[in-house]
Amino acid sequence: MEVLFILSALISLAGTLILITQKNPVYALLGLLIAFGGSAGVFKALDAPFIAVSQIIIYAGALAVMFLFVLMFTDTRTQDDRLKLPGAVGSRAVFNPKESGGPAKAKKKKNEFQVPAAVTAALDSIQLPKPMAMVLSLSLLVCFTAAIAKLPAEFNDFGPLPASYSGAMFAPSSEDGVLAFGSTAAVSKTIFEGFPLAFEVVSLLIFAALLGAVLLARRHLAGIPGTQDVGKERDHA
Amino acid sequence: MLEPKVVLFLAAVLFSAGLYGVLSRRHLIMLLMSLELMLNAVNIALVTFSRYWAGEGVGMIGAHSGQFFTLMVMAVAAAEVGIGLAIIVAVYRRKHTADSDAASELKG
Repeated sequence: MEVLFILSALISLAGTLILITQKNPVYALLGLLIAFGGSAGVFKALDAPFIAVSQIIIYAGALAVMFLFVLMFTDTRTQDDRLKLPGAVGSRAVFNPKESGGPAKAKKKKNEFQVPAAVTAALDSIQLPKPMAMVLSLSLLVCFTAAIAKLPAEFNDFGPLPASYSGAMFAPSSEDGVLAFGSTAAVSKTIFEGFPLAFEVVSLLIFAALLGAVLLARRHLAGIPGTQDVGKERDHA
Repeated sequence: MLEPKVVLFLAAVLFSAGLYGVLSRRHLIMLLMSLELMLNAVNIALVTFSRYWAGEGVGMIGAHSGQFFTLMVMAVAAAEVGIGLAIIVAVYRRKHTADSDAASELKG
């Protein structure tokens, strides 16, 4: 479990790093996928296999595809990219000023240091760190770390796993004591015997979200209230 | 030996990284992605506490309530992403950009 946790945590952190540094939203989405996969491994290491599988199905499967759909629908450039001056080409111009100087200055000195093209391309794809956001998030991390460090000493170790729970799913038959901690049967018994009302309320919430999403994203239709009126000349976009 | 404090620290790092993503990006979809990362970090903390308090005398429902809450968070996150992406599509149709600075009519 220890090895699985360390591996998954490293994968998760690497994916997070990709997510917050890449400029291209599709690469960032890939980083998010990697981070979710790593988190699924962390859940497995914490004896929650059902949560791990749901994580992969819901987050890495459904949500990532939805994000990808909307990324393809929309323009991925932000205001920063649009306002970029035509002459500026990012770090390539900073490191290799001669290269972007036009054909007239094509002559290179022999012993001049040139940053390899791969390095400048990698630098161009990375978003520059924002200092204020960095300060805020790092101070939050410091607060969290202080709180974790103040936890009592019992938190230095997970207790032993509880023995499997007694009780069968459907009938009091032979298979007593098969519900191990974190197993699908134990989790489903918890849902339907412990919190049935919360389960029903969440299903209602998802239904409402489905209706709301359809209503928000559809085009303007005559006679249907709540739909957007964006004019016909813009609808072709 | 796997320590709860280490796992909680991992969750804290992921949460802070997600916050950095939310604060530093302008693209609305990137905002939503970083938000998902923050929710995921919370899930890790919840499962950690669920595992920690799953000792004797809690019972099956008590031991799994943290995992149940994680499932609820996942469902709410899915609903949130559905609505959020629909809003982004609507904003893009109106503004022709998914930049968060473009939708600033309520700024005053």
